[in-house]
Amino acid sequence: MNLIAISALVLLIGAALSILLRSNVQRVAASLLTQAIATVCVVMTTLPILAQPGTELRDVFTWSYPVDQIAVHLDALGAFFLVWSLPMVLLGSIYAVGYLRPSFGTRHVGAHFALLNLTALSFLMIYTLESAIVFLLGWEIAAVCAWLLVIWDYGNQKIRFAGFNYLVSTHLGLFFLVAALMVLHSQTGSMDFESFSTFLNTPSTLRDTTFLLLVIAFGLKSAFFPFHTWLPRAHSAAPAHVSALMSGVIHKAGLFGLLRFTLLIKNPEAWMGWTLIGFSALSAVVGALYSTSQRDLKRLLGYSSTENVGIAGMAFGVGTLGLCWQQPTLVALGFTGGILHILNHAIFKCLLFYAAGGVYQSTHTVDLERLGGLLRKLPWVGLCFLVGGLAIAGMPGLNGFTSEFLIFGSLLEPVPVGGLERTALVFAAAVLAMVGGISAFAVVRSFGLTFLGVPRDPAVHPKTPTHPAMLLTMGVHAAGILAIGLAPDLAFRLVAAPARLFTQLVPAAAPRAVDPVALLAPIANLAALLIVIVGGLVLLRGWLATRAPARTHVTWSCGYPAPTARIQYTGTSFTAPLSRLFAGVLPMLRREKLPVGPFPQSGDYLHTHSVDAVERRMFELIGNSDQLVTETAAKISEESRLSFGLGLLVLVIMIGLLFAGKLGLL
Amino acid sequence: MTILAHLAALLLLPIVLVGIINRTRARWSGRKGPPILQGGFDLWRLLKKRPVYSEVTTGIFRLAPLVVLATTFVSGLLVPLVGRAAPLSFALDFVALAYLWALGRALMILAALDTGSPFEGMGASREATWAALAEPGLFLALGTLAAASGHSSFAELLPVQAVTPAAIVVRVGCALTLFLILQLEAARVPIDDPSTHLELTMIHEVMILDHSGPDLAALQYATGLKLTIGAGLIAALLNPLGPGEPAIWVAAVSLGLTFAVAIAIGCVEALTARLQLKAVPTYLVLGSLVGLLALLTAAFDFGARR
Repeated sequence: MNLIAISALVLLIGAALSILLRSNVQRVAASLLTQAIATVCVVMTTLPILAQPGTELRDVFTWSYPVDQIAVHLDALGAFFLVWSLPMVLLGSIYAVGYLRPSFGTRHVGAHFALLNLTALSFLMIYTLESAIVFLLGWEIAAVCAWLLVIWDYGNQKIRFAGFNYLVSTHLGLFFLVAALMVLHSQTGSMDFESFSTFLNTPSTLRDTTFLLLVIAFGLKSAFFPFHTWLPRAHSAAPAHVSALMSGVIHKAGLFGLLRFTLLIKNPEAWMGWTLIGFSALSAVVGALYSTSQRDLKRLLGYSSTENVGIAGMAFGVGTLGLCWQQPTLVALGFTGGILHILNHAIFKCLLFYAAGGVYQSTHTVDLERLGGLLRKLPWVGLCFLVGGLAIAGMPGLNGFTSEFLIFGSLLEPVPVGGLERTALVFAAAVLAMVGGISAFAVVRSFGLTFLGVPRDPAVHPKTPTHPAMLLTMGVHAAGILAIGLAPDLAFRLVAAPARLFTQLVPAAAPRAVDPVALLAPIANLAALLIVIVGGLVLLRGWLATRAPARTHVTWSCGYPAPTARIQYTGTSFTAPLSRLFAGVLPMLRREKLPVGPFPQSGDYLHTHSVDAVERRMFELIGNSDQLVTETAAKISEESRLSFGLGLLVLVIMIGLLFAGKLGLL
Repeated sequence: MTILAHLAALLLLPIVLVGIINRTRARWSGRKGPPILQGGFDLWRLLKKRPVYSEVTTGIFRLAPLVVLATTFVSGLLVPLVGRAAPLSFALDFVALAYLWALGRALMILAALDTGSPFEGMGASREATWAALAEPGLFLALGTLAAASGHSSFAELLPVQAVTPAAIVVRVGCALTLFLILQLEAARVPIDDPSTHLELTMIHEVMILDHSGPDLAALQYATGLKLTIGAGLIAALLNPLGPGEPAIWVAAVSLGLTFAVAIAIGCVEALTARLQLKAVPTYLVLGSLVGLLALLTAAFDFGARR
């Protein structure tokens, strides 16, 4: 426990030093050094907790009024989140050294690194503290740090707007969280999480309300649909490492909150599980769909975060159902799969943002319609993007598949539940499969357009080679993806302990649980077999090539004699078949001046822009709601007896419901 | 022994099934048709040819055909083609099959984009879209069978258990969904036409325009393998022999049904026109709906049993 306090102190000192020291190099060194010390301390504290089931750390610090005492309670769940959050912030800071290198001569970068230190500190608070007040403080530090990190390039008005948009949204979530905590405080008279447990254990309407408030608050933090509108803007505006840390690490706090409160609720009702599954499935589908239509690489990755928290949320929903139905298989697979997916998503999403940052640093654009053929210029960045992209699409042999396989297991493993429930779970699996297909679409599209083919815009010249610090960070993440993909056991050492907290809640007398480790064992072998066969085929083709050597020629362009780079498929045309099918969800704005006549003059154009439907309608509603109401009202005929009768009926039902609620019939 | 038979089936059936389909089509149009093993001769000829690579392509283009072949081959080890057992069998192996195919498809699409050819980009876009739309159908069909049988590996969820009217509806529904997915994955009419000569209307064929020599052989063989796996799945699903029957009979009936599926594919190709491109999503969603119907029937069935 002392180590946690020491690392908090060290991080604060580092933050102070990186503002006060004289040169940028010293400031960055102070930040990195203190973060490294804190990381070592935290890993040394958390690993024993994760290794031995049932161990936890407790301590009490005294502070001034009104908090008085800060109870520290580090259990396996908090330890799991800490054990990768701090190292990943450190890696992100190392990446930042390379990414912000051009600014070292012109700007004070110390503040930026101090904020990274404070972000790490906020994790220490969120994941270890028992007192809700100080938890909220950590929550706020994380939010404000993220905002200030996003507006690094604050001279740009668009970036300031994205920053404020984020700040407002995250505080809307805070209102819901405060509301939930106020309800809990009023019912228990305490602000400690553990004391909420008895209230949350007993079914009541107030408990249900609290649950919904919490889901909304944490959903906003983790950017679930439809609370995601801030996310694509913030992610495309922020520096790459900030996008990476926000998407991969900082916003996982929302899912942590969800898990923490599920542990406190202990005996959830079935509707809670179904709500979570439905809400998350919606996020997954819509997030995936949006990630197929973006032309800004980082915006695209932002939407894919909405998709992936949805996937994890679906797993937690199944786990919640398992807790309700006392089915240890569902609990084990759901929570293990979901928690593993959080870790996996942190690894591959950070890698993808880092690779996108590498592209931006070299070409000064992340516009898919202008890129192309970068794999030859930036081979390592491209390779990392490919590994991360295939992992996020859940391809076998990489880490994304391990967690998605477990989540599919939780939905499809036959456990004795009712016919209707089984139907719903299989249907959810089909939805998840579709999400997988769409996310594979988004990955091949973004990688193919950015790194393959020939450059679309001759004005884009990749010049700057990627800084070694950036390559180092990317390499570590890519190694993590491969390691977990090929040897899932490694990840189980981290995931088993937090998952056990949930499986403990099911009585031991319940039927046998499917062991996630056993379920995944054949997968690792399958990946190994795949690699062996591909290796064999490469050798075989090499042998064939000794007899009939390969030659190179231009791409077959179907007899067209003057191909240019512009005739390649663009991002918009690639998505067209899909976006036409989902036109209601994926609104596409077109501005066009099409050529006329046999010899069209120049000046023709066609611009398409994929916008966020929720954001668009939200602003529409805010801006023109009075007009909308008037228009709707004008459509209702005043004379018709039918509409009068229907209105009366609705009124009677509403009054009836009101009374029924008052009398406690509902 | 079974493993050897399985490997022999994986090696030969891709060639034979394509031969049977072509023969069936030829018969319907009053021709004699190529020899059954023509596909094998074609592959042999391709293996001896010099491959040509486009100047703009990268290593991904060269790796893709091999990954496609490897993933399809490994997925072929998961499905019981001969008799009831598969060489590799584990819980949720059908999820692994779906994702192995997805990996091969992703590499295939990337290889198409790697050439920078507008036609290949077009095929890639269509392939990616249809695949995303077909994914739910596959999971609905196999998830339904898993729920109905109470098992989650191919070897256990496919064989018949109780013969009730509901169980028959479930089986036939799932087989129909799988048949649709087979048409998509093996690039057959009415979704795609393997013998079309117009780049604008191709889907799978246009993506392999720039592959040649051994690479093309790998891709064509992989498509045949997918055909074999899909037909084998449907055959195992429709195989009426119960658990008491001797394995050799089960294998023989399965093989016969596999050939029957190939003939069915050939008949569809000969007798129907290709769908308009904009009708393909409807067709695929229809497949998913049939799967959903099977799922609801199964739910009703084990709702009644409880």
